[in-house]
Amino acid sequence: MKELALVIEDDEDLSEIFGQALTAANYEIEIIRDGAVAQERLKKVLPVVVILDMHIPHVSGVTLLKQIQADARLAATRVVVATADAQIGESLRTEATLVLIKPISFIQLRDLSSRLHLLKS
Amino acid sequence: MKAVSEFLDRILNIQTSDPDDTRRRRLLNILMLGMFVSGLVGTVVVTIDALTLKSLGGTGSQLLLPTAAIIMVGVLILYYINRHSGRWAAFLFLLLLTAAFSLSDTPDQLANGRSLFVYAFPVAISSLILFPTASFIFAAIGGAIITWLAISVSIFPNIPAIIGFFMLALVSWLSSRTLEQALKDLRSINAELDHRVMVRTRELSDALSRETIEAGRREAILNSIADGVIVFDSNGAAILANPSITALINKPREKIIGSGFNDLLDSDEVKVGDRDNAATLLEKSAQDLSNFRMEWGKRTVSINAARVLDHHHLSIGTVAVLRDITHDAELERMKDTFLAIVSHELRTPLNAILGYAEMLIESVYGQINEKQKNVSTRIMTNTRRLLDIVSDLLDQTQIEAGKLKIRVVPCRPAELLDNLYGIMEKSASDKGIALSTELDQSMPPVIMGDPQRLQQIMINLANNAVKFTDQGNVRVRVHPGDDGKNWQMQVIDTGKGVPEDAMESIFEAFRQLESVSTREQGGFGLGLSIVKQLVELMEGKITVESEVEKGSTFTVTLPLIVGEVTMSQSQPFSGG
Repeated sequence: MKELALVIEDDEDLSEIFGQALTAANYEIEIIRDGAVAQERLKKVLPVVVILDMHIPHVSGVTLLKQIQADARLAATRVVVATADAQIGESLRTEATLVLIKPISFIQLRDLSSRLHLLKS
Repeated sequence: MKAVSEFLDRILNIQTSDPDDTRRRRLLNILMLGMFVSGLVGTVVVTIDALTLKSLGGTGSQLLLPTAAIIMVGVLILYYINRHSGRWAAFLFLLLLTAAFSLSDTPDQLANGRSLFVYAFPVAISSLILFPTASFIFAAIGGAIITWLAISVSIFPNIPAIIGFFMLALVSWLSSRTLEQALKDLRSINAELDHRVMVRTRELSDALSRETIEAGRREAILNSIADGVIVFDSNGAAILANPSITALINKPREKIIGSGFNDLLDSDEVKVGDRDNAATLLEKSAQDLSNFRMEWGKRTVSINAARVLDHHHLSIGTVAVLRDITHDAELERMKDTFLAIVSHELRTPLNAILGYAEMLIESVYGQINEKQKNVSTRIMTNTRRLLDIVSDLLDQTQIEAGKLKIRVVPCRPAELLDNLYGIMEKSASDKGIALSTELDQSMPPVIMGDPQRLQQIMINLANNAVKFTDQGNVRVRVHPGDDGKNWQMQVIDTGKGVPEDAMESIFEAFRQLESVSTREQGGFGLGLSIVKQLVELMEGKITVESEVEKGSTFTVTLPLIVGEVTMSQSQPFSGG
């Protein structure tokens, strides 16, 4: 069974690209475009990887990041922050597993996500 | 008394152009007035005497009345001549006087007796009422008369008396000459003084009118300029305020005048922090606070202050200029918002284009043919170029606005070089250029700096080198400086090189060597400008050595601060 990856990104195209990259990296993917929905889903599912955009409607990416960190159930979850703002990215570098500054390449994300499999094993 | 004095002045004074002549005529008038009054008194006395003693029949009295009448009439005639013909009156007066004296006694008494002295009188006064040397003429006339009279009565002429007349004439001449000289000097001093007073008065009047014009001009300037101006005196009280300031700080002019710095700043419209800074600026005219920017109610103002110094360079006050920059500040805010939007909204769709193109190449949506693959690669390359331009523009704007902050965290030079190689290798090999990185063994493994910006500098320089090199190689070296206080990053290429005359301008924003190159090579001419500004923000410097058609060496020298080796650092993933 494939490991679950959540793509929390409100932009339709980027969520499609990120989703495809993770699919290519052999993940089961679920795309969420709303912060509040993501908040609820994180209580129910156990993703191995979360691609997290910072600017999403209703609940911010930072709040979601804190929620994941505070949840012992999600201790093994790797959070990849995806942001266009280099300063926000810098400030979250110690909080997240990885920080990717947009533009994020399909190949780059695919290859990095593949390596996260290895990191877990 | 005053009326009598004025009357006397009117009848005695005869105004002429020559002040000496005026003085002489007045003196003659005084003498004649004396004689006229004597004649009048004599007539009155004789008449009273005759009426009271009934002795009008005496020979003396009979002669006295006509004599007095002749004197008075003669005086009036001479007075008339004196008023209208000048010098002749004095001459006639003296001649008549001499003649009258010659008839006043017996010839022997006149020539050598009790009346001899009468001839001294014309001698003494002639130099005063005629001219200085006239005393000699009347000494001669007097001498001639007594000689003739002596001969007529057969006695020897009184030679000592004649010599006496001449001696008197000499004294009279000397004294009147001295007097006239003194008066002349006095008049000349007076004239000089008058002239000086006149010149000085004219100068003062000119200066006053110039000052008035200047003050009017200054006031017109102050009133017409859009900036608010307040002038404070040395005690810090406002003494002048132009109309613009009243609108700017929302206070009527009369409330500003007399107020101190703090009174003006003590307003709900001014924030406490701003208040302190503005007060410091105004009190000390602090240069480092010039163009101090603050919110004043709904307005944004920029304040400048300058001391007013007197000619001893002592402060006699302060001029404060307040400029309303509300509109500029609003534009700046709009620019920031616009840039934030551009930054996010432009990158997101570009990211999507890039991602889809990559997915096509990676056959995510099925196999594509070679032509389609090439086109997708072109889409990717162009999108990356566009992204680079957006990033450069944003960086440039941030640097210009002073908003770009340099972090100081541990970073590994080896990782910077590895990342660079990873990012640049493909574009270099695509052009057939060999890219190599060299890390000097003596370089500390961890240094303090801003990894993201150091990487950016390295990528920009390497990218530039690859861009302008058609064959050969691009080497990127990192090594410690000679003095141990610095480290250096060198990018060496075998490209086109930079001509001597372009060395100065290659680091300027929006400047690339030739517009043709810009179009051929891509780019916006911002890369090197950003590198230079980043290096300067890091307190380093960048130099370039180059030879046309042989290559260039860009050397970045930065302060070396060795970092903790134990720190593990994850490097940023740069999009390139």
